[in-house]
Amino acid sequence: MTTILIMTFTGIGLIGVLGFAGRRKPAADLSEWAVGGRNFGAVSMWFLQAGEVFTTFTFLGMAGLAFSGGVAALYALPYVPIGYMVLFFLAKRLWSLGKERGYLTQGDYLEDRYDSKLLGTVAAVLGVVFVLPYLQLQITGLGLIVQLVTGNSSSGTLSMIIGSVLVVAFVLWAGLHGVAMTSYFKDVIMLIVLGVLLVAIPSHFAGGVSAMFHRIDKLHPEMLTIHAGPADQVWFTTSMLVSAIGVGLMCLPHAWPAVMSARDPKVLRRNYTWMPLYELCLLMPIIVGFAAILVLKPGSSANGILLTLSKQVLPAWATGLVVIAAIATAMVPAAGILIGISSLVARNIARVQGERTQFWINHGTVVAACGLSLLLAIFRPDLLANLLLLTYSGTVQLAPAIALGFLTRRPVGKVPILAGLFVGELAVIWLTFWNKDLAGNVNVGLIGLAANLIVLTLAAPAERLLARRTTPASDKQVAMTA
Amino acid sequence: MRPYHLIPAVPALALALMPFLPFVNTDGLWFGLPRMLVWGAAWCVLCTPALLLTERQMAREGAELTDTTATVTTAEGVDQ
Repeated sequence: MTTILIMTFTGIGLIGVLGFAGRRKPAADLSEWAVGGRNFGAVSMWFLQAGEVFTTFTFLGMAGLAFSGGVAALYALPYVPIGYMVLFFLAKRLWSLGKERGYLTQGDYLEDRYDSKLLGTVAAVLGVVFVLPYLQLQITGLGLIVQLVTGNSSSGTLSMIIGSVLVVAFVLWAGLHGVAMTSYFKDVIMLIVLGVLLVAIPSHFAGGVSAMFHRIDKLHPEMLTIHAGPADQVWFTTSMLVSAIGVGLMCLPHAWPAVMSARDPKVLRRNYTWMPLYELCLLMPIIVGFAAILVLKPGSSANGILLTLSKQVLPAWATGLVVIAAIATAMVPAAGILIGISSLVARNIARVQGERTQFWINHGTVVAACGLSLLLAIFRPDLLANLLLLTYSGTVQLAPAIALGFLTRRPVGKVPILAGLFVGELAVIWLTFWNKDLAGNVNVGLIGLAANLIVLTLAAPAERLLARRTTPASDKQVAMTA
Repeated sequence: MRPYHLIPAVPALALALMPFLPFVNTDGLWFGLPRMLVWGAAWCVLCTPALLLTERQMAREGAELTDTTATVTTAEGVDQ
């Protein structure tokens, strides 16, 4: 136990040190801090983008989903490749607009494309509100990891506090460069650990991966199919679709700084081409989760199964390495999310005069957002997977606005976009918190998106008609040419 | 919409329809692994060749477009 505990806190410290090593001097302005001067090459971009995909949810949540729902966990496999195939086509336009118009955030893009500060602010507020649980998820996951391996809740709380303080410190110092530096370490150690677990756990409990699945096929064949129940075909397809739209149209605000930091659009396109292969790594925790079906009792804590099995199979020092990898999947994405949230607040919500003030508001937001998430993680922890789905269903309501913004000649103005967004978010919040059974197994984000699009489709011609009646010239304003 | 846009649609559709294909969403194994897992992994792998092919088509079409523009410009130059 002492070995694991020492390795845990050493790992947290090491990630902090690597984050600081991302820069020799602190960044002088927000652009340098948030998008690294738009000079990131293919390797840095690769790890930054992978950093968004491989999080605590991947490491712990995927194994847990496979344990509780079998192949239903595979909903997480296709959505990133599908999203990347959309981004493959949009990358050049997105990057060129960002470079020409100086975007740092999602809010900058929407504000500029629709010539509306209100839309930029609304999108930024929604981004912060819906992504804050995602930040909390990483911190909660960090505490859960330590608590599971040490069996001590105070060690879990202490690790959350130390981890959060270090993340805030290196993010303030090094910005996106710090995230990139820690991402290299995170992906390397995560792949090594998952590779070892993929071999060790099925071999130990069932004599190998194939033998394990043959036993599951015999004893629990229902785990190999998507069937009636809470994780049925409707749940699988709609959850996958919402997540794919979220990735493909860059609905999550913390995805923007990484893309804006690319040196040129070719770097982005190359990464989107090869990233689907990297996505196969997701299968590793899923296969480990299947092993738990044969070993653990149904109803065991789903989020902790990967670490529980690791402890049973590996020596203490190797379990320590698993813990370091798991901690990295919490701390590195948390750092990336903090950059996304703080730049939204500084650029699109606070709206202060002067670059220096904006920079300090950004840094203050890093501290405030991480502090709030830490408090929530300590006092209101929640189930990992549900939080992620809520994050996607809320942010995906920005998809129509982002998609139409790519067009050179915009077919709608800001009013229909805002109306659709308002109705879509209202539907998501209502179905998530007040009328949970109404949506059945359909992802609430998709229902919200349908309501959003209906309002947008009705409001767009109404806006045009109104504009024609008031002044014929305003037509030209609505269909502004980029 | 150009023909090369449809190339990545093939793996995307194969992945999205995964739970509705009766020969995929069923018990039994392929190569000692769940059928859904094998199907999903195979089509994820095929996304990369699909995008490489698309890029090639785009480059070819881009080159053709450049050639056409050059020809038109030359022709206009001759006319003038």
